[in-house]
Amino acid sequence: MNLKDLLSPFFVWQRAFEKPYTSIRPTIDRPGAPAYRGFHINIADTCVGCGSCHEICQNHAIDMVAVEEYLGREGDSGLRPRFDYGRCCWCGLCVDICTAASLRMSNEYAWISEDPTVFHFTAGVDDKPWQDNENGYRRAEGYHLYPPKRIEMEMLPANESVSSFEEVVKGYSEEQAKKEADRCVECGICVATCPAHMDVPDYIHSIRDGNYEKGLQLMYRTNPFPATCGRICTRRCESVCPVGILGEPVAIRWLKRLIVDQVDASDYQRILADTITENGKKIAVIGAGPGGMSAAYYLRKKGYAVTVFEAQESAGGMLRYGVPSYRLPDNDLDKDIDYIVSLGVEIKYNTAIGKDIKFEQLLENYDAVFMSTGLSVPSSMRIHGEDHPRVLSGLQVLADVANGRDPGIGKKVAVIGGGNVAMDAARVSRRFDAEVTILYRRRISEMPADEEEIHESQEEGCRIVQQAIPVEIVSADSEQQVAIRWGEAEMVDDPKGGRPRPVLQEDRMHTDTYDSIISAIGQGSNLDYISKEMHEEFAIEWGKFTPGEYQHTTLEKVFVGGDFANSTADAISAIEDGHHAARGIDRYLNPAAYEEK
Amino acid sequence: MNTVDEILDYAIDQEQQAADFYEDVAQRAETAGMKKILLDFSKEEKRHKKILIDVKAGEHELSPEQEVLDLKISDYLVEVEASDNITYQDALIIAMKKERAAHKLYSDMAAKVPESHLKEVLEGLAKEEAKHKLFFETEYDERVLMDN
Repeated sequence: MNLKDLLSPFFVWQRAFEKPYTSIRPTIDRPGAPAYRGFHINIADTCVGCGSCHEICQNHAIDMVAVEEYLGREGDSGLRPRFDYGRCCWCGLCVDICTAASLRMSNEYAWISEDPTVFHFTAGVDDKPWQDNENGYRRAEGYHLYPPKRIEMEMLPANESVSSFEEVVKGYSEEQAKKEADRCVECGICVATCPAHMDVPDYIHSIRDGNYEKGLQLMYRTNPFPATCGRICTRRCESVCPVGILGEPVAIRWLKRLIVDQVDASDYQRILADTITENGKKIAVIGAGPGGMSAAYYLRKKGYAVTVFEAQESAGGMLRYGVPSYRLPDNDLDKDIDYIVSLGVEIKYNTAIGKDIKFEQLLENYDAVFMSTGLSVPSSMRIHGEDHPRVLSGLQVLADVANGRDPGIGKKVAVIGGGNVAMDAARVSRRFDAEVTILYRRRISEMPADEEEIHESQEEGCRIVQQAIPVEIVSADSEQQVAIRWGEAEMVDDPKGGRPRPVLQEDRMHTDTYDSIISAIGQGSNLDYISKEMHEEFAIEWGKFTPGEYQHTTLEKVFVGGDFANSTADAISAIEDGHHAARGIDRYLNPAAYEEK
Repeated sequence: MNTVDEILDYAIDQEQQAADFYEDVAQRAETAGMKKILLDFSKEEKRHKKILIDVKAGEHELSPEQEVLDLKISDYLVEVEASDNITYQDALIIAMKKERAAHKLYSDMAAKVPESHLKEVLEGLAKEEAKHKLFFETEYDERVLMDN
């Protein structure tokens, strides 16, 4: 060893007294570029927890975690993305897919800690200094990973649709449906919102796979009326679809219809393979509407002998007698009903409880009774002159048309009301070549009718006069006509914070003459079939039942569901009520099966 | 009726009569649901009565200057009967019309009285009845005129 080698370690020590070339921590901040992909920012209030970010992340760097503050919000999973910066590669795909545009990235990138376990956080929930950073990466405006617009549905042109009762909506082709199905991000928020909790993401997935048989099986798990709901469902699912936040929601209803339309009714038995093992117990169902038939289906599957008592000559209830065939053709409704009947459900048509058979007899002869007779009595306007023979009820007009009778409305018609019955009565009147005016007390935006129905009624030539309050029906010069006196309304804020109220302006009154006036301001229940004594035993409020758990009433054997037992009064809620009651009846009659082992 | 106390006694009696009326209809009502609703109406009238008793005792003041929204719903509805099978719609119509009549009575009386404490009380009673009418009209607007 030479002397230099021996001394060189000591020369190194002199460096210890020199100015260092590095520093312990950066003393000068070096901000990221304005569009740098740094730490994530989430606007947790606008995020709906759809989980698209979690699904698309290739590194599994995002978990969806429950955040109490957001649990239970309508159209919100209550989950928020939690990032793991040990895995994130900063690609920004999560930002690009975010359905609510709530997710973006800041341009901050320095997070210093000696603890290697801290580098994960719930963006927008955990307090981080970059949450309010205005810079960083965000999706370019107009850029979408999925098409924001739904595949357009082909419809009969309005000038053609008013000349017949042919179905207005043509339905998707398979190719169109696959494209539309591709827009679904499979978040499942729709499942929570759907009253029947249909497995929407999976049946949409079955369209992508071209496996319609599987799609049908999935739908029948919670809804035995898919052909019907594929046409006229109120589609709450679509109202919460996160794809609809930045674009149009996935056309869930039309996709459901596509599946049913692709499967022939003769294949249902094979595909659904419902096997019945008789259990020897009998159930009476009152009303063959969606609630009653849904209960009948699920009860039959559990082995009960089900008899449905129906006052009309066909099954379907308001779906048949209240929804015109241009929205729901009879053969599609029959496709649903026929399958339920094919399982051995007996329907006694033209049999009115209370008239042909006493309600008490059912209680005596059956192990349980499910009632679902809906809202079948038109509400009265209670204005002077309402008993004029040219004043018709919307429900009667629709029932006449469903039965193939001429409703005798004439050629100039006024429809009073803004609900679906009013819209249907108006559109039916157009098909009888009548000039139609709809008088509605509030504004179009406040109409309870389906938005699509309102739009289509206008397309078909119905004139809507909003803020019009009917005050009196008066005789016209001709006996074949009738006049209505109505006044304009001003919308006034409710001092108690409710929705604005229409107030009649007596200095702006009008009188118009029509061939008929169709009243469609709402409907109530007909419970005449229940005796006065029996009424005392039911908890009925505001003309509606208020069932307890599993649709059970205060009467031991009796369960209820449908429009007269829920606040939503639509087919899908009635279907769920029927399904729910079927579970309740089974628990009631077969409690041992539900005992905790 | 010339004094404030006489007027208030009359108004209190009217509220009691209204409460009795609803109780009577409730007794006859065929359904348990309607019985409950009518008894609720009766309770509401008793609440009104209590307010007036408090006014008479000097524990509550009427506010004649307060603006009360008039939805005018009852103005054009037909008279209905309190039959045994009365519906909720008809029960509301009866209630609205009763409150409307009371409001009109006190308003007309106030118009005939010169400026005085008595006039103020009558105007206050008219406003009170207008509030009761608004309560029932709002209920009618919400529950009966849902689709209209």
